[in-house]
Amino acid sequence: MPPTLTFETVDVGDELPPLRLTLAGEQVRRYAEAANMPGGRFMSDAEAQAEGLPGQIVPGNLSLALFSRLLTEWDSSVRLKRLSATFRGLVRPDVALTLSAVVTEKHTSDHGNFLECDLVLENADGDRLVTGTATVALA
Amino acid sequence: MSFTIDRAMVGSEFDHTEFPPITEEQILAYAAAYGETSPLYTDPVAAARGPHGGLIAPPTFAVSLRGKHFMPREMPRNIGRNGFDAGKDIEIGAPVRPGDVLTASSTVHDIYEKTGRSGTMVFIVFRTTVTNQRGETVSVVDQKMMFR
Repeated sequence: MPPTLTFETVDVGDELPPLRLTLAGEQVRRYAEAANMPGGRFMSDAEAQAEGLPGQIVPGNLSLALFSRLLTEWDSSVRLKRLSATFRGLVRPDVALTLSAVVTEKHTSDHGNFLECDLVLENADGDRLVTGTATVALA
Repeated sequence: MSFTIDRAMVGSEFDHTEFPPITEEQILAYAAAYGETSPLYTDPVAAARGPHGGLIAPPTFAVSLRGKHFMPREMPRNIGRNGFDAGKDIEIGAPVRPGDVLTASSTVHDIYEKTGRSGTMVFIVFRTTVTNQRGETVSVVDQKMMFR
């Protein structure tokens, strides 16, 4: 899709279109394999429970990848420069998740035009399981 | 807490791994695994017409690179099972393309303690710097592990 955003048309406080999804256990396992994360906690309920967890969990790296998808799906002009996440709670498969972002700052340097964003991944109860920040460049 | 951590490890490199050339299949598999939709990372034909002139790896691709050693040998042996990924910070540099030969260098970047309602926790920050065959930095990944 051609870019539609420009630095001038984005304002502090703008909210990005949220990303809503439910991860299946099989998708979590596939991600763990593609990302070379062999931990049993990402593979099945049984292996996770053997580690003392309530069941299979979503790797933090997958939450991070979903944040990157949220940002780059906003507009094809978005280039991710920095991404930071704090894993605050267990993210589980088969749970409805919403990822959202809001623009908190705009700045310009010799290297281009940049936006700072706050990020949240939450479940249907509003528990903020992952929070983060990002810096993106707009072409 | 049933282990002690030697702060002398801070700053020392515990892993240095050169990976086989990155393949198009590897990039596509990583992107598909989390439902990526941007053609920059999912469609070699469309990406060829894009700003990079070809397929590139998604921004978080570097987290999929697994070095020979996950943590320093000096760490207690069972520490990995007791730890949790508390957070991650990625700086994204030069794009990764099929055929790139990446090298990852990992160090213990920081060790600190925090005491909260549930007791004392130790945080260890592992920093992995990934460079390509031209010496360009493609990613700097700080992984914060928490141990109780």
